[in-house]
Amino acid sequence: MRERKNSPDVRLIGDVARLAAVGYGAKTAYSVVMPNGMYGKLSFEAIDALSDDFAVYLREELGLSAGDRVALQVPNSLTFPIAAFGIAKAGLVLVNTNPLYTGTEMGRQFADAGIRALVIVDMFADKLDEAFAIHPIEHVIIAAVSEKMPRMVSGVIRLVQRYWDQSLPEISRPHHLFADALARGASVRASRGIQAKDYTANIRPDDLAVLQYTGGTTGVAKGAMLSHANLVTNVAQAESCFGGEMRPGEEVVLTALPLYHIFAFTANMLLFHKWGAQNILIPNPRPISNLKRAFENHAITWMTGVNTLFNALNNEFWFTEDPPRSLRGAVAGGMALQAPVAERFKAVTGIDVLEGYGLTETSPIVTFNSRQKFRLGTIGQPMPETEIRLLDAEGREVPPGEPGELAVRGPQVMAGYWNKPDETAATLRNGWLMTGDIATVDPEGFYRIVDRKKDMVLVSGFNVYPNEVEDVLAAHPGVLEAAVIGVPDGAAGEAVCAFVVRRDNQAPGVEQLREHCKAHLTAYKVPKRIEFREQLPKSNVGKILRRDLRAELEKAGG
Amino acid sequence: MVGAFEQAILAAMIFVIMLGMGAALTPRDFMLALKKPYGLLVGLGSQYGIMPLIALSLALILPVPDAVKVGIVIMGSMPGGTTSNIFTYFAKGNLALSVLMTVNSTLVGVLAIPFLVITNLAILKAVGAISVVIPASNIVITLVLLLVPVMVGVLLRRWNANVGALVELTGGALGVLFIVLLLVTWVPRNWQFLMNTPVSVFACVILLGWLGFFFGYVFSRLLRFSDRDSQTIAMEIGIQNGPLAIAIVVFTFVGPLQSMQQQVMAVPALYSLFIVLSSTALTIWFRRANAAKEQRIPKALL
Repeated sequence: MRERKNSPDVRLIGDVARLAAVGYGAKTAYSVVMPNGMYGKLSFEAIDALSDDFAVYLREELGLSAGDRVALQVPNSLTFPIAAFGIAKAGLVLVNTNPLYTGTEMGRQFADAGIRALVIVDMFADKLDEAFAIHPIEHVIIAAVSEKMPRMVSGVIRLVQRYWDQSLPEISRPHHLFADALARGASVRASRGIQAKDYTANIRPDDLAVLQYTGGTTGVAKGAMLSHANLVTNVAQAESCFGGEMRPGEEVVLTALPLYHIFAFTANMLLFHKWGAQNILIPNPRPISNLKRAFENHAITWMTGVNTLFNALNNEFWFTEDPPRSLRGAVAGGMALQAPVAERFKAVTGIDVLEGYGLTETSPIVTFNSRQKFRLGTIGQPMPETEIRLLDAEGREVPPGEPGELAVRGPQVMAGYWNKPDETAATLRNGWLMTGDIATVDPEGFYRIVDRKKDMVLVSGFNVYPNEVEDVLAAHPGVLEAAVIGVPDGAAGEAVCAFVVRRDNQAPGVEQLREHCKAHLTAYKVPKRIEFREQLPKSNVGKILRRDLRAELEKAGG
Repeated sequence: MVGAFEQAILAAMIFVIMLGMGAALTPRDFMLALKKPYGLLVGLGSQYGIMPLIALSLALILPVPDAVKVGIVIMGSMPGGTTSNIFTYFAKGNLALSVLMTVNSTLVGVLAIPFLVITNLAILKAVGAISVVIPASNIVITLVLLLVPVMVGVLLRRWNANVGALVELTGGALGVLFIVLLLVTWVPRNWQFLMNTPVSVFACVILLGWLGFFFGYVFSRLLRFSDRDSQTIAMEIGIQNGPLAIAIVVFTFVGPLQSMQQQVMAVPALYSLFIVLSSTALTIWFRRANAAKEQRIPKALL
């Protein structure tokens, strides 16, 4: 175990913004970069002040009180750090939400978390009706991707969005605009002399800060309860691992991963921000050429990414022909980094991709490869104050070198799942988090993930829960039963593969089933491959045996 | 005919289009091009080899008036147009390659265009295909003047990426607007003239584009470029800078040559109109092919 360097100034998430504003002031903290190079930026001071304004708005204008849940559903944009820090500073609980969710998925998550206010990007506000049918929300705040960009630039972006992309739907629900909310918060803060700091005077580090939704082991989305301490400790742990390589106030980090995902949330928004790095926010990295201008116009020194992103860059000629000379480091997580991808990236840029391992439930970093202690193909060594055990099916530690389920204990481990005592009890045992991942450890203490215990399918870093997809498939009138497994799929890691038994009289085709899934599931959950079967392998109690299907595919060679 | 007001508008538009082209560039693009001189040479070779040859052949073969032959030679000697970048974008082609080729051919054009125009006109004269002499000095001056906004564009982009992006957008939009302007002002006013224009002239301007596409694609395939890059090169070669040709005609055919202006001008004007149709057809075709082959990134983390 490594020693962790303590930073007493940062007690709560909001302190990260305050401390960075003191340390780095007028330097640029966040730049949002559009595919054509248009950008908008905010300084550390501005982020701190605007998030104070937003905190005041939430508390004074909307009348929310400490502990209330507020959902944030925006792509990477200047709105994100303002709103996220603002929610934390107001003593409220942030509920990160994927903007690509369908209305039904939104509604379920909002209902489970008991959301009182929602900050949502205008482009996806057409899903509000569907979400409201499940869980009405008191306050809806609409933000634009071009929020806080120079007026001329945001004007052009709005014009393009409205008339060219036609991506700005009519918003049927009563709402406030994010820009107005900030202005209102600022004037209330000034006129009444409010100190946003007072909102968190009674908040303790162990209090809930973020509800980060994940499927976990059983497939029903659950909110991992991450406290302020969980997150700021994870930041401090990461600092002691590779903080030595950072030049405070000098780094420029590419944030192409969405901030609503725990990886970018902790690594980019908290960790790099704390170091005074400039975050280059990419609203939409698809197609990957959207990153070209960001690399050209900004001297990017660090980047965080998943295997998919590194692989995509490896296959872009503008990147490989003239790789960014300013790049000094790259961090991978979210899914297994494939060795050929890391090797090719190194050949192109000369940079070792440092791989880490983590889970939503661990805020997220558990193990990490630092440059001093680096071993390709492994997930590295445990973070400071982090204990790992590899356990067999009976919960006993396995002999050295043997595979076992990875269990973690440390200050970054969540308190439990929101309103799910049974799920919590199944996952957390005496402070040990059962990850469901099977790992081995070598004599030098480098861990390697060999398999997942869970049946979950990991598509590009996102968990897909076979149960959920099976349920949707089974809801189709033409489907008798369905089983879903993950199959290896190049850069995305895994793809969803469905086995379907059709009813006699109706026979939906592959395309019809996929359309059906698309209507009820976010795109990454939709089966990429659908096979029809006469029957599915079952155990003697009638449980469908996914492992047999997997074995069958393996035998058939994919 | 082109009036004084139209000339001013035209000059302003060309200026902004070139400014936009400059703003699309970073010094890094030049470095990249210089690092791969082979690609640069192939690009320039096809731009200033294939098209002028096609133009010369058409001028020699087709039974068109002298002025049209002069027009077709000028049109064939033009660098790639910025509209090729727009079409390449929609065709899901290699946009960076397209932009690079446009820029390189424009820069080199300062020397290549007068040389090609003068040489090819001399050849036509020598074989007795035409009987006029065109002074080269005007062409050179026009070209040098056009390099100024390109440089200003590069600097604008360096100074402020937002201004650069806005200028780039405006330049691209004006490239399209230029065609529209042509349609609504030049075509109606020259309607009678166009009605009397022989079919061979129309055939000439349409063929110039399509032969450029065809030989550009074959040439780059022979040099083992990928399918997508070859499509991009084909579009780059086939789509010439129409506005530039019109500007050159307007500023060159003055004084004693004024009487020829309308007829010479018909070539770049008609070419600009028809290339939009041809390129649209080609773009739809290429887009289908490229969309099927695109790097797919799952809608999850990215």
